[in-house]
Amino acid sequence: MDTKSKLGRRNLPWVFIFLLPTLVMFAMFYLWPIIEVFYTSFTRYRGFGLHTAEWLGFANFTRLFNMQSFLISITNIALWSVLAIVLHVSFGVVVAFIFYRGIPGWKFARAAFMVPVVISSAAWAMIYRFIFNNDFGLLNNIIRIFNPDFQLNWFFSSPAAFWAITFTWVFYAVIVTMVVLGDLMAIPSDLLEAASIDGASSWQKTWFIKLPLCRFSIGTGVIMSVTSRISMYEAIALTSRGGPGDDTMSLSLILVRAISDNNFGLANATAVIMFIMGILTMVIVNKLFRMNDSVY
Amino acid sequence: MIKKTISMTFMYLVLIFVVVVSLFPLVWVVMSSFKTNADILSSPFSLPTSFDFEPYLQVLSTNNFLTFAINSFTIASIATVGSLLMYSMGAYVIAKYDFWGRNIFFIIFAMTLLVPGHTKTQPIFSLVANLGLYDTRQGLILVYLSAGLAMCMFLMRSSFTAIPKEITEAATIDGAGFIRIFAQLHLPLVKSGLATAGILLFLGNWNEYYFAMLLTASARNRTLPYALAFFNETFAYNYTRMFAALTLVIIPGILIYIITQEQVKMSLTAGSVKG
Repeated sequence: MDTKSKLGRRNLPWVFIFLLPTLVMFAMFYLWPIIEVFYTSFTRYRGFGLHTAEWLGFANFTRLFNMQSFLISITNIALWSVLAIVLHVSFGVVVAFIFYRGIPGWKFARAAFMVPVVISSAAWAMIYRFIFNNDFGLLNNIIRIFNPDFQLNWFFSSPAAFWAITFTWVFYAVIVTMVVLGDLMAIPSDLLEAASIDGASSWQKTWFIKLPLCRFSIGTGVIMSVTSRISMYEAIALTSRGGPGDDTMSLSLILVRAISDNNFGLANATAVIMFIMGILTMVIVNKLFRMNDSVY
Repeated sequence: MIKKTISMTFMYLVLIFVVVVSLFPLVWVVMSSFKTNADILSSPFSLPTSFDFEPYLQVLSTNNFLTFAINSFTIASIATVGSLLMYSMGAYVIAKYDFWGRNIFFIIFAMTLLVPGHTKTQPIFSLVANLGLYDTRQGLILVYLSAGLAMCMFLMRSSFTAIPKEITEAATIDGAGFIRIFAQLHLPLVKSGLATAGILLFLGNWNEYYFAMLLTASARNRTLPYALAFFNETFAYNYTRMFAALTLVIIPGILIYIITQEQVKMSLTAGSVKG
């Protein structure tokens, strides 16, 4: 018996007292909410305890799948997820590989790249609302240098609104960059030296050694960026508000709308769909990137 | 040689792009806050002709702006200190003491990271409402206290685990009790872990919008990020003031980041890699 377990037994009451606050928070804000969300998504519910919920079967889900805004939300999230993988994650990876080369100025670029993520996403959405403003916005003023008659209210016209919202996040991939950079730096240098001795070019080393060895962090980046697309809220609510029409609707907007309509069953059915999408993303990416196999 | 020049050019173009998309929007916002309404509309790229802080004073003195700032600061601080205390206590016993279910607890706490954001909205909304805390600062603090559970667990458990166990043994032989070993011996040794977690928690709380929007109604309890949603009405299309207010909202986060760069960098990746 080592000291740790002896200490543990003697101090068991203290151990329990120390663990208690965390357990209470876990039960109140994670365990119970998930049970409540899943159960009441099948009911008519006003938020006063599960016994007050009135069983409806799949009615909330049927209603969702018949809502135009829901179907558009699913399409939007699918398209944004593709963009997240094709543009956002790959941009982050490219930047990580450039940082890894350590060319002069990379540290400054890294520090600058980090700034957008330490700012409130609400403030960031407001900044972009200004940038895409028709009258004084940065973007239209740049375009007007070449085309003086250009007029466009980005967040309020279709399909510009979708792309304007995409622009608010698509290049801000610093977290992907940092995670991948961590993996790159961990590659043993003798591995790369051995490859050089065998005559591998620097492209071959990138494609056949570095990228495969970074698959865990790239997979993590994909999961994080896709799950943030699923729950994206501020970037839409503070700019286009889901419009024009339902053009830029997303599930979290439907959820919030259902809550303000006191339709908690419908809100939680939306949440269940978000939950399933998140878990599916994790499972699929885990499989595709073989994230459970050890890298070395 | 040509190949090398091309690849260098490409790399620098990407780096310049990174810096421009990250900083230019902010520079533009700050610059515009020093220009008149007419200048903002007619010459958006011109540099401000003078640095007039009048719009800032106007923002600070009107529209409850100071109330929002004080709310943001107190709510974020209290929630940060509370989370640090609660979760470092939890992480401490998981790292340092052996008891039944120790690893199960850790795995369960870590799994909270897998729950996609916003899915728990209604239960949390109803919980706060049923506790009578809707539209109060206490309600927001309670919700923010729950936010950092997994991140704190990861950071603090590894900090506590890194303390050599000989230190504990020596203290136990000297007759120090459980609380004394925790507060006087172990806690001071994990200062950097606490700082990292604290900075990340504070930034998250300071920037939070979603629950502030859902759980508060009156201006008295509003925080800065949520106040942004009312800027158009509040500043009645006085663009200079809108830009000045926006600058005031984003400055604290950037300052914290500049002061604690290394820690933010570490914590951002630590919190995400392990997810």
